[in-house]
Amino acid sequence: MNTTTTTQSRIKVITGNAAAAIAAKLARPDVVAAYPITPQTEVIEQISTFHASGEMDCELITVEGENSAMNAVMAASLAGGRVFTASSSWGLVFMYDAVLAVAGARAPVVMVNVNRETPGIIAVSSGQQDMISTRDAGWIFLIAEDCQEVLDLVLQAYRLAEDYDIQLPVMVHYDGFFLSYLSEGVDIPEQETVDQFLSVLKTQPKRTVLHPGEKLGVGSHGILGGYMELRHKHVTAMERSKAKFEEIDQEFADIFGRSYGGQVEEYRTDDADIVLLGSGSMCGTIKAVIDEQREKGERIGLVKIRMYRPFPHQALTAALKGKKAIGVVDRSLAFGFDGGPIYTELKAFETRMDGAKLVSFIDGIANTDITKTNVEKMIQMTRDLADGKDVPEVTWVSYPDANTKGGK
Amino acid sequence: MAEKKQARLTKVLDYLKHDDPFSKGVAFCPGCGLELLLRFIPRVLGNDIVITGTPSCSAPVLLGQNNQSWHTLSYFGTLMTGAAANATGLVRYYRKAGIDNTVVCFNGDGTANDIGFGNLSGAAERNEPFIYICYDNEGYMNTGIQKSGTTPFGATTTTTPYGTVSRGKNLRRMNLGLKMAMNKIPYTATATLSDLDDLAKKLLKAKEAKERGFCFLHVFAPCPTGWGADPADTIEICRQAVKTNYFPLWEAENGRIRMTKTVKKPKPVNTYTKLMKKFNHMTEADHVILQDDVDYEYCLLGGLSVLEAECQLPVSVKDQGETS
Repeated sequence: MNTTTTTQSRIKVITGNAAAAIAAKLARPDVVAAYPITPQTEVIEQISTFHASGEMDCELITVEGENSAMNAVMAASLAGGRVFTASSSWGLVFMYDAVLAVAGARAPVVMVNVNRETPGIIAVSSGQQDMISTRDAGWIFLIAEDCQEVLDLVLQAYRLAEDYDIQLPVMVHYDGFFLSYLSEGVDIPEQETVDQFLSVLKTQPKRTVLHPGEKLGVGSHGILGGYMELRHKHVTAMERSKAKFEEIDQEFADIFGRSYGGQVEEYRTDDADIVLLGSGSMCGTIKAVIDEQREKGERIGLVKIRMYRPFPHQALTAALKGKKAIGVVDRSLAFGFDGGPIYTELKAFETRMDGAKLVSFIDGIANTDITKTNVEKMIQMTRDLADGKDVPEVTWVSYPDANTKGGK
Repeated sequence: MAEKKQARLTKVLDYLKHDDPFSKGVAFCPGCGLELLLRFIPRVLGNDIVITGTPSCSAPVLLGQNNQSWHTLSYFGTLMTGAAANATGLVRYYRKAGIDNTVVCFNGDGTANDIGFGNLSGAAERNEPFIYICYDNEGYMNTGIQKSGTTPFGATTTTTPYGTVSRGKNLRRMNLGLKMAMNKIPYTATATLSDLDDLAKKLLKAKEAKERGFCFLHVFAPCPTGWGADPADTIEICRQAVKTNYFPLWEAENGRIRMTKTVKKPKPVNTYTKLMKKFNHMTEADHVILQDDVDYEYCLLGGLSVLEAECQLPVSVKDQGETS
């Protein structure tokens, strides 16, 4: 991230959840639906406080479950409103039918999902499995690395979702526990600056909305030929969102002085011959280790996925092309494949990367920390792969038994 | 007698102040209770309502087919799980944007009593300002006549068939209207198609009461196809449901129950059940069980209306109107 101070702002030490709530407030949504779940709860608590004190002029719907949260914001969005909601893990799963319906209806809903495991009720722990389980819902998925990026991505999400050429729901993901409860300095922009950033949307043509007496229907029954057309338009809008996100990142930099590089962020990759590919809060640790290893002469860089859906394969192949080896770090599982989900997806583009070799690392699931030691181990294995040594295709970094016993 | 009937008909027609927004021929079964109700609502409430509907018998007509609509209302086709939450989202945004609206959340008993009951309950708790109408045909008719929570004791459906071990549904039906009235929402009522002036009055009362919050109408709407009845008997079935107290007509303002039609000498429930095939297999003993249920529910309703009159309505209910 490149930072230059160009605007008036104030830096506050806040959690990722607070950053999400403040970003939602700054975006001035018309309707917010709120239902608690660990580790998201603080987001809706903060919004409720803003609402109670009159700082946030929105309709706050304290629903009786996540399914209703998504259904309420879907309808409010299709009626013409700017909306916000937040969830995590089982909450995201419980709203899943409506998550699909929102995408199909092209409702520009913006929400944050605080990543958490989903395998069982005891898994109140960090991991990206909830994101992976919903990746093909037809939403745009963005992933934040730190609390500042949480705030910035929520603001960028509105520009992307509500853009007349896009009109798709956007989900901003950030790691539960590691970011939701982590306090760090966040540059909170002034309301006028955010208003200026979002004002572009007001100059665009009005999208079709559902109002009384206007003889308009939403959600037709059993469309035959039209369905193909709608789905194809959905896919092409997803594809358009890639370039749009790059544009928005540039404009954001001009106004707020912070640029992340759009779909992917590259960290010290220019002269690197090996690269780690990661997403979310792990990238902070990876960057720190890279800095240390660079001192020792290791030519290592990081490629961080910021936009996960649509899958930014063009940006990724451009960034990874010509590297000797790439270690893909996944914080979730892809059942039926040995490697992690992002690893298996990247594999589809292996032939476009001029011979770069790929290796899969699974770590950080069920709240385990992706430590500096773990990152060092990953870098070493990626280097070994680059040097032509024998390296297993998949390594569970914090669970050596998986590698020695083959998981039996 | 003829004069009286004529006067009654005129009274009903007086309520139909608006056009019928539906096409003349629509894809409902002959004698469908839902069709009459669906056409009736916008003729009484106006064509500027926003109506929401879910996958159900109403879906093919209400939600249109192949990008073509059967009507000219603004509508929102939604999911059974979240119908009341969708209506909530609409009214909340309209309120924020200052757009006058009457949102009618129109669902079958499967959505209202079963899969969508959670969000119906939530909308009642938050006193959301819209009208929820449940057309109760006592089962999942669109998917091919399956049992729902409002299917009555003894009735055969494709999931409660009559067999050597089973005698149809072996459980009581749930009293959806009463469940909702217990939430002390501004307006709850039952209605049916044999008493259209009563239905019209209740629709207009709901339109007025929704300014204070949530309104719920439980409308008994027979399904000749699913119940094995003569399509010509739809209205007669409704009439006998009322006359046997199988489906009593009442309303509740802020939960205070008042009968809108009292049957002086209720007929035995078999004058109702004999009009359709779904109860055909029932023995006399089965009929005693069903009759018992009908009597109990009616007695409870009467008891509650007396009790309610004796209790001082709390300020929290009297002053409701603030949606939170």
